[in-house]
Amino acid sequence: MVTREDIENIALLSKLFVDEKDLDKLTEEMQKIVEFADTINKVEVKTGEFDNINNLSNVFRKDEVRESLPVEEILKNAPEQAEDHFLVRKRA
Amino acid sequence: MTSQIRKIHDMLVSKEISCVELTKKYLAEIENSNKELNAYITVTPDVALAQAKAVDEKIARGEEIGLLEGIPMTLKDNISTKGIETTCASKILTGYKPIYDATVYELLQEQGVVMLGKTNMDEFAMGSSCETSYYGGAKNPHNTGYVSGGSSGGVATAVGASLAVYGLGSDTGGSIRQPASFCGIVGLKPTYGAVSRYGLIAYASSFDQIGPITQSVEDAAIVFDAIAKYDEKDSTSQGGEATLPTLENDIKGKKIGIANQYLNGVREDVKEAVLSAAKQYEDMGAEIIYFDLPELDFALPSYYILAMAEASSNLGRYDGIRYGYKAEHYNGTHDMICRTRSEGFGKEVQRRILMGTYVLSAGYYDAYYKKAVNLRGAIVEAFDRAFEKVDVILAPTAPVTAFENGYLFSDETDQIEQYLSDICTVPVNTAGLPAVSVPCGVDEKGLPIGMQLIGKKFDEKTILNLAYRYEQAVDNFKETKWGVKL
Repeated sequence: MVTREDIENIALLSKLFVDEKDLDKLTEEMQKIVEFADTINKVEVKTGEFDNINNLSNVFRKDEVRESLPVEEILKNAPEQAEDHFLVRKRA
Repeated sequence: MTSQIRKIHDMLVSKEISCVELTKKYLAEIENSNKELNAYITVTPDVALAQAKAVDEKIARGEEIGLLEGIPMTLKDNISTKGIETTCASKILTGYKPIYDATVYELLQEQGVVMLGKTNMDEFAMGSSCETSYYGGAKNPHNTGYVSGGSSGGVATAVGASLAVYGLGSDTGGSIRQPASFCGIVGLKPTYGAVSRYGLIAYASSFDQIGPITQSVEDAAIVFDAIAKYDEKDSTSQGGEATLPTLENDIKGKKIGIANQYLNGVREDVKEAVLSAAKQYEDMGAEIIYFDLPELDFALPSYYILAMAEASSNLGRYDGIRYGYKAEHYNGTHDMICRTRSEGFGKEVQRRILMGTYVLSAGYYDAYYKKAVNLRGAIVEAFDRAFEKVDVILAPTAPVTAFENGYLFSDETDQIEQYLSDICTVPVNTAGLPAVSVPCGVDEKGLPIGMQLIGKKFDEKTILNLAYRYEQAVDNFKETKWGVKL
């Protein structure tokens, strides 16, 4: 059973802000999704071997020094920036 | 349907039309109909015309041009394009202009692409109708009262309505094949690892794959062969095998499997259309083999658990600091990030992040995430066993045809029903297999029905060969009233 407290807890972990007035509806929706997910627990499977689709392992490239993206280009997309840095204000 | 790419290529080479004229035709039709169809989020006339001009100059110099050179196309708006807004149809990425190109777009630029713009999609590719888009859904070109399908709905609408010759979409749980099926065109989801995903904005990384949406099977083969290249920037990349050389091969003696479970719960007319295609294959000398694949019964819930878990991690990067939307008012860093994400993400995306966090959290991890991973292993093995007996598997692409606008989000429909509509497409992503959707009929409302051919890993050539032979025998492509007529 999914409770309001569960939703508040996972919202905190997910860094999502859930409005008090939406909490009941969201709890109900999540309960339905969890019930749907729960159907897998009715299945008995003996296998458990799955790592990745094409069984690749240790995919490394050569550790070569390459040119990085220019700082001013990267900062262009930042909502706020100052002196070659991302800017995060305490409050706004 | 015959290859539109070859047709236009011949027109360009014979100078029947210049590439700039051609591109202007497409831009004009997009201008005319995008308000109604909502296929494009961003149209890029400057980029397209500059690219077209370069092709014309090459032709004028008497140089040979490649098949894809000068062919106007579109990219789903989750494929990064340097300096061109890439939104994932989300408010949280409004104004975001990537500083690099996705590998697929780089490869196409080397081939002389003309990129008309970026197309609509479900927000972060999470949806089956294109309606979770912040910009509203793309409409079905066969009837605008119905959805395009999703998540690559904008590409499917654009290609179905001849507002682009072809497009690239992405398929995590059916997002290329289902909208292609709803819009009556061809959609290829390649093998996991065949096409580089560098620059594709991630939803669920162990499922995501880029592939072509086209009007004809041959076009899908042409585009696939151009983009299925190994890329060191994607650690899962392996590249693909060329499909064009064997496209026209005889299919006599090919073994086509039909898993009984794929037909469960499928609407009667859709089932009939698929079975009549099976009959067609038999007439062409292929063998139809019915078999059981009981593992399909738990493919859907296990897929959603894993996809949501991966999404909750992938979408952790949207914090309002480095790019995209940022909340206007807040008190403290945690509050700023929470408000940014709650205001920036739509409802469906938030539900999936919450659910993903839930199945990964202490106390639930073993019961949900770990169990779903184990089931994934069982599904992979079940397909491996099936492919010992058959060359391809034939199945419906979706259990129904296009939904009416708003249906999935009306009060009577709960969100589980939306998830259930992905039942036929999801198992392919779970097992990392290639599959192509081709039109196989229409329903009583005139809406297209699609079927998919599912192949062994990295065996795109066999499914495209079989799709091509079917399409040459039974042409189910229906032109719409929209777009460029050539």
